[in-house]
Amino acid sequence: MFHLQSANASYNNKDVLVDITLQIPAGQKLALIGHSGSGKSTLLKLLYQQRPQDISLVPQDYGLVSSLSVFHNVYMGQLAYQPLWYNLVNLIKPLKKPLQDVEQILDNIKLSDKLLEPVAQLSGGQQQRTAVARAMMQGSDILLADEPVSSLDEHQSKLVMSLLCNDFDTVVLAMHDIDLALTYCDRIIGLDHGRITIDAPTTSLNRNDLLDIYGE
Amino acid sequence: MENNAPIFQRPSRWKISGLFILIALACLPFADLTINTFDPMAELDRLFSGLLSPSLYPIESPIDALLQTVAFAILGVSSGSVIGFSLAQIFHFRLVRTICALIRAVHELFWALIFLQIFGLHPLTGLLAIGLPYTATFAKVYAEILEEGDRRAFDTIRHSSSFTSAFFYARLPDLWQHFIAYTSYRLECGLRSSTILGFIGLPTLGYYLSSAFLEGQYSEVWALLILFYLLIASIKYWVRPKLLPVYLLISPFIIANDSHISFDNVHRFFTQDIIPLPIRNGQGISELWLWFYNLFINEALPGIVNSLVLTQLALILTGFITLVWFPLISKLFFARFARSIGHFFLVVMRSTPEYILAFILLTLWGPSMLPAIIALALHNGAIIAHLMGHYSDALPLRLDATKGLNRYAYEVVPRIYGQFMAFLFYRWEIILRESAILGILGITTLGFYIDSAIQDIRLDRAMVLIIITALLNVCIDTISRHIRSRLRLSMGPEIISK
Amino acid sequence: MTAFESIVRNPLNRLMFLSTPITFIIYQLQLIKNGSNRMQSKLRRFIQSSFLALLVTSFSSTVLSAPKTLMFSAIPDQDQTQLIKRFAIVADYLSTKLGIPVKYIPVKSYSAAITAFRNNQIQLAWFGGLSGVRARLLVPGSEAIAQGLEDTEFRSYFIAHHSTGLQASKDFPKNISDKTFTFGSKGSTSGRLMPEFFIRENLQKPPNDVFKRVGFSGNHSRTIALVQTGAYQVGATNYKVWEKEMKAGKIDSSKVSVIWKTPAYPDYQWTIRGDVDQFWGEGFKTRVQQALLEIKDPALLKSFPRSGFIKASNNDYQPILETARKIGLID
Repeated sequence: MFHLQSANASYNNKDVLVDITLQIPAGQKLALIGHSGSGKSTLLKLLYQQRPQDISLVPQDYGLVSSLSVFHNVYMGQLAYQPLWYNLVNLIKPLKKPLQDVEQILDNIKLSDKLLEPVAQLSGGQQQRTAVARAMMQGSDILLADEPVSSLDEHQSKLVMSLLCNDFDTVVLAMHDIDLALTYCDRIIGLDHGRITIDAPTTSLNRNDLLDIYGE
Repeated sequence: MENNAPIFQRPSRWKISGLFILIALACLPFADLTINTFDPMAELDRLFSGLLSPSLYPIESPIDALLQTVAFAILGVSSGSVIGFSLAQIFHFRLVRTICALIRAVHELFWALIFLQIFGLHPLTGLLAIGLPYTATFAKVYAEILEEGDRRAFDTIRHSSSFTSAFFYARLPDLWQHFIAYTSYRLECGLRSSTILGFIGLPTLGYYLSSAFLEGQYSEVWALLILFYLLIASIKYWVRPKLLPVYLLISPFIIANDSHISFDNVHRFFTQDIIPLPIRNGQGISELWLWFYNLFINEALPGIVNSLVLTQLALILTGFITLVWFPLISKLFFARFARSIGHFFLVVMRSTPEYILAFILLTLWGPSMLPAIIALALHNGAIIAHLMGHYSDALPLRLDATKGLNRYAYEVVPRIYGQFMAFLFYRWEIILRESAILGILGITTLGFYIDSAIQDIRLDRAMVLIIITALLNVCIDTISRHIRSRLRLSMGPEIISK
Repeated sequence: MTAFESIVRNPLNRLMFLSTPITFIIYQLQLIKNGSNRMQSKLRRFIQSSFLALLVTSFSSTVLSAPKTLMFSAIPDQDQTQLIKRFAIVADYLSTKLGIPVKYIPVKSYSAAITAFRNNQIQLAWFGGLSGVRARLLVPGSEAIAQGLEDTEFRSYFIAHHSTGLQASKDFPKNISDKTFTFGSKGSTSGRLMPEFFIRENLQKPPNDVFKRVGFSGNHSRTIALVQTGAYQVGATNYKVWEKEMKAGKIDSSKVSVIWKTPAYPDYQWTIRGDVDQFWGEGFKTRVQQALLEIKDPALLKSFPRSGFIKASNNDYQPILETARKIGLID
């Protein structure tokens, strides 16, 4: 599904990623862990550029339009599949069918009560879930998500993680939370200063080892 | 789920937009939007065939007109900026603010008409017509820049040093760029102003432009317009800080002519000309009231109604044009080459003073509100589209954002709408001021009645009408500020200085 | 007049006077910096001497003209692009006749001409009937001294676009109501005052109530152009301008024609300020009058256009004043 061979990336003349070689087969649930600045986001970007058509994306800053409602923001995942006139009408007057679709997704992540509220009025966690809902609305096979649960409490995090891992066939997540990574993913890649330092199936990894190297 | 409409909360920005669209629709029946020329296409054809053969040859002294245009602009703007800067320091006094607001509310063309009565053809007429309203605008904007700036350093050292040196050390360096940016922008405006002052008799480019238009000499029209565009487009090459003292030194010689000021005239203007006729004739209060009442009902009221109708329609059309045009220069929508065409188009549209645009369209379509509305909307739309285009470039779009119209409708417009409304409401009062002066061209806004009174040498009437115009402007400005603060639409010094 | 004043007066002089020393200095500095060989020094001498020559000419041309200049203007009633060309020859003529410098000052509107006259920025003016009356009211002591042969019996023509179907008639064309109508300048006698007077007299209503739309074209040639294109259906214009444009072939008679000629009234005249004798000596006013009456050169007369000038007095224009008062154009 993804294939990188000795990939490098730099930003302002500083190396962000060095000599990354990586294969990700379809169906894998992969967690990228590492301190901030270790190159997780850049790696996600490289992966995204490989096949932008097939990917649902949850960016770190959510990429929401704060003056539009939650409904419209989630519906944006569908824009490419619907005719233009339909999208424009729906922007001015929310249509019934998309309302039902969006509400169903929001139901799953316990946000349906905010359906028609402007995103600007939501809390950080609610905004994050809106971004997740948009990715689910898009419904591609692959999910790339940058810290998709960083603003959520433990209970919500688990809910969102399980939803994402069920909904998408292939999942690549940048994460801080080692416990969640160990629970929901089947492979973990550790990054440090732009290099891969760990790449192993979850089953072979020990929580305490990871915590020593990457924990907060 | 069946009935979700009631809970869908439209943001207040939407409601205000809707309200203004409704107002514009309500204005439509009162607006005269006919095309009166018998064969407007033939005239348009003549206009554009003139573009193929531009010729300066029949114009009597184009180079002198060009020099005069520049000299009036440079002297007017620089004196305005110096005095305006001092006024900005005392702008917190209500009296200063009010006086500046009133001066600003009167368009430079009206000022020119007034000063033409006092100083006649003396260069002071043009100098003050630009300098005075520019001073008031500079005072306001400089004060806003000072207010938005960071005061902490200044407050720290202020007690240990004199006010002036504290100001120069702790405030000016931070804000200097904003002052320079705004001042040079105003210099461009000044060139436009000094050009259109030619339409009422200053020896600038507009003098020949209006004659050429009136006679339908489109080859000369285009030659002059091209000269004007070149002047504006080359500003960054010839306006250099080092050259400015040279310009300031030479300019007075260029604008000087051999008219002289008669102080009897100045005296007479203030003690007789502008005193209402019934008072001059020694009649009573009731006569004065009757005089004012007739003036108000027969001239001011229709003028106000027409100015407002024109303004509201132009405002909505400006908004519409902005939303259509800004993508032309936005990185989010077009590649480099297409954008450069868009840039060129917007530069031409916004450099052309609305007065000249209206003049062109009036020539083509005959007198009605239509040419005025379109001229105002094209000019102001291009200005706001330019700002919005740059603003949209800075938007953080996510990697997988859609393209084309979907991107426009879902990602970009909702994000920039607040800023868009801030700009639009900021131009509202400017559009009103401009719609008033378009009356000089024959559309029955306030300017029509003011011009008529001046042509009849009834300066008392002209003065009352000008004051009414100014008050109307101040009203609209207040409402606009109120709406902007209600919607929390702020501009910030970077934006103000654009 | 001082040399300085003269430099200020002529734009070309101004430029030359200012740019000469500056360019000269820059050039000198450039040479000092670059060093010079023989070729350069020859060139330098040549340029130096031409600069000096320029400087001397720009200075001497200014010192020669000593006496105070008489300024005059004319209302911009037609063909505004050619104003300076048209009246510069008149200025030259007057200057030779009077032996003092005479300068034509172009203005953009009737009111600007009146204001300049009132402010003593012009001392002599070729006014229309109404603008002359206004100017003389504002400047006590000023006098109408000459008028065109045609101005004792001036007329306005009502003209109409052919699509209106209006035909030429002897009587006032009452069927022009509900058409669109354009006057000339707001302050014009033949383009505004008298047409409005006849409209009110014949239809008993102000123009705004008579016509579907009332406009002010700005000047007489423009009125003709606007009716010819159909921008307005009917218009009122100065008969001399109509005849002149007709002769010049600018009028397409398949599109526009005269439908009514007004009765005669007095119009254009030369008006001079009362205080000119103080400046240029006793009898100056009479000399100016004489000079105007003696204009016989067709090239000069074409500027106005008139076939000659005769004496005039303020009293000749009493009817205009009364009409203007009646209509409410003068308080």
